[in-house]
Amino acid sequence: MSAAPSVPSAGPLSLAPVFARLKLTLLRNGLRQSSKRKAVYIVSLVLVALFGALQLLGLCALRGTAHAAAFTVPLAVLLALGWAVAPLFHPGGDETLNPARLAMLPLRPAPLAVALLISSLIGMGPAFTVLILLGSVIATAYGAGAAAVAVLAVPLALLVCVALARAVATANIRLLSSRKGRDLALLSGVVIGVGLQVVNFAVQKLSQSGLAKLEPVADVARWIPPGSALDAVRAAGDGEYGLASAEIALTAGVLAALLFWWQRTLTKVMVSPDSSTLAAAEPTRDRERPSGTGLSRLLPAGRVGTAAERSLRYARRDPKTRMSWGSALAIGAVVPLFNVLQGGHSLYFAFVAAAMVTGQMFNQLGQDGSAFWMVLQTIGSRREALAELRGRALALTLVTGPYLTLAVALLGLLTGAWGEFAEVLGLMLALLGGLLGTGAVASVLLPYSVPQDHAFKNVAPSQTGIAWLGLLWALAGAAVCAPLIGLTVWLHLAGASSLSWILLPLGPAYGALAARIGLHAAAHRMVPRLPEILAAASKA
Amino acid sequence: MAVGLGTTSAAVRIEGLWKRFGEQVAVAGVDLEIPAGRFVGLVGPNGAGKTTTLSMVTGLLRPDAGRVEIAGHDVWADPAAAKAVIGVLPEGLRLFERLSGRELLAYTGRLRGLPGPEVDQRATQLLDVLDLAGAQHKLVVDYSTGMRKKIGLAAALLHNPEVLFLDEPFEGVDPVSAQTIRRVLERYTASGATVVFSSHVMELVESLCSWVAVLAGGRIRAHGPVAEVRGEAPSLQDAFLELVGARGLSEGQTLDWLGGAR
Repeated sequence: MSAAPSVPSAGPLSLAPVFARLKLTLLRNGLRQSSKRKAVYIVSLVLVALFGALQLLGLCALRGTAHAAAFTVPLAVLLALGWAVAPLFHPGGDETLNPARLAMLPLRPAPLAVALLISSLIGMGPAFTVLILLGSVIATAYGAGAAAVAVLAVPLALLVCVALARAVATANIRLLSSRKGRDLALLSGVVIGVGLQVVNFAVQKLSQSGLAKLEPVADVARWIPPGSALDAVRAAGDGEYGLASAEIALTAGVLAALLFWWQRTLTKVMVSPDSSTLAAAEPTRDRERPSGTGLSRLLPAGRVGTAAERSLRYARRDPKTRMSWGSALAIGAVVPLFNVLQGGHSLYFAFVAAAMVTGQMFNQLGQDGSAFWMVLQTIGSRREALAELRGRALALTLVTGPYLTLAVALLGLLTGAWGEFAEVLGLMLALLGGLLGTGAVASVLLPYSVPQDHAFKNVAPSQTGIAWLGLLWALAGAAVCAPLIGLTVWLHLAGASSLSWILLPLGPAYGALAARIGLHAAAHRMVPRLPEILAAASKA
Repeated sequence: MAVGLGTTSAAVRIEGLWKRFGEQVAVAGVDLEIPAGRFVGLVGPNGAGKTTTLSMVTGLLRPDAGRVEIAGHDVWADPAAAKAVIGVLPEGLRLFERLSGRELLAYTGRLRGLPGPEVDQRATQLLDVLDLAGAQHKLVVDYSTGMRKKIGLAAALLHNPEVLFLDEPFEGVDPVSAQTIRRVLERYTASGATVVFSSHVMELVESLCSWVAVLAGGRIRAHGPVAEVRGEAPSLQDAFLELVGARGLSEGQTLDWLGGAR
């Protein structure tokens, strides 16, 4: 890594503006690519500014309350935790983060690390962090001594956060740039969803019992930088100058250690193989097995079984498909269950589960992405198109059929409303068939791409309208079942509720018929539309 | 097998093929007859319309106008018959990457309607010949570029097509894999089948192909046996540069510091 003699050795101070400019240029060029991106950026800028300002105001309002520091100190630690995990959710997001791009340049690691650190202070994240830290010290600083410590504490805490993010990202660059890392990042949606629930729960608990509850947490957090920097502000205000200086020193020490670690990993990463090399060198687990696994032996031979098997494999292996399956199954189970726990007695909430899982049918072909060409190449006639769609519907039914039956049975067990069991299960299977049928038609008429590299985007930017239309089609699926719903209502109104068992055989038969008609109609339209479907599926 | 239906000896017949993307004309009236049983190179600079042309010829992209006939079957009027006799390896389109190499072949073969045991037997042989046997249980998403092209080629060959279309099959492929691909393709054409592949590497085309078509600006600039297209020029590369009207680096004032005193 030694610089060539003819190259003037670049100090951190001459490097920092270069990296800062690089970062601004990358940002500007990224925005210049599309007006949509610009709009998204501006909206998020406004939202972050608003949210940050609200946080600042809220924290300022804490000034004068007894246990303000018990809140701000753990908050700072939480903030640092957020910084540490953020790069894992956003791999390859910041191009200046990728040391591989700098490996060719004659730069020494120490100045490089400092320059990178300074340039990473530019952005929405650091600005938001500054707002929170400012609010925190305003809430807790009493007296000139505390104010002086605060002037030190805020930049220190900010630098710890940013250095932590960069060091963690660099140390995990191999994971982040590998396929497993990207798969992991796609799960971040679930993590953030669960995290929000936890935060929500915690806020509710706090508003019931007050900030004093946090004191034991703060006792620990004050020894974890950057929490210690913020506790130093409180300590200085309370006249505990010894403690304050110890805490500031601890934060500074941790910052130095982080920088040292980061600089070490930076050097190491620049001269070690990247993830693609390692993936290629990885020995294959030689699980010799015949192509007919247990699953495929149960499926029918021919195209239907082949397509179904591929769909089921993708539900397990493709991170995006797995996530949408996982969340549909989970939400479909949780919502009716919560309803029962809150005292609900109706089995009809099981329809949430039906609506969630059958949503999977509504962009079957677009889900394939540009790989759809492999399917396209093998479809020449309506018969093949029908077999392909049938296979996908079969895969879906294999999962949703037992799942829905189980869900209704479980709800029946919990509520004891067995009287409704036959009609609810019957209607639900009818709905399943109806949605499979309309879903197949929507898949053919309204396909859209699913971006593979983004956890939250499920529609390619230019195709949002198509996706919404597809969702509207789900209503058509419900409308298909109107005759059966009408029959159920009539049975109840006519006082013939005892006859409602008739829906148990009638529902599945009706559903099968609706699915059959839908699949045939879809197959009919699919053959002449194949190139258009491929074009729509390859947008992302 | 090389002889298509009817009396024609053309494997592929393209007439008046057009494609516009908004304002830009990607393919501007391509007419071409590709003889059967040959190793055919479709060459042209980047952006010449090679991929667009191949996509339209193989039924992946609908043309604005024109007709394509493969082995006597109209690709756009009778897609079922045309698709049955061609194998395709597109560029830039994904495979089903969350399947392992072997699963991908098993899947493709069964979609093609081949009997299961036959698919498995052919897959084993293809994986062997293409040096993929060791990686057959790895997911395709973890394959290198060379391995990816090879598994794509295997999937395209699985149903023993009459005409094989390959878009940039050697792009980003290491010499060893390239040699493997080459051997398989040469053996395949020796049996009388037709291979059409696009490339912008002239040396490769010259050494591999017996027939070339030069595409530039969405039109065919020249076509015929390699020797004919090369003409008086010392190499196909020179003939090509002249055909597409490329300019050399002008001598003189620019870059005079390069290679000077350090």
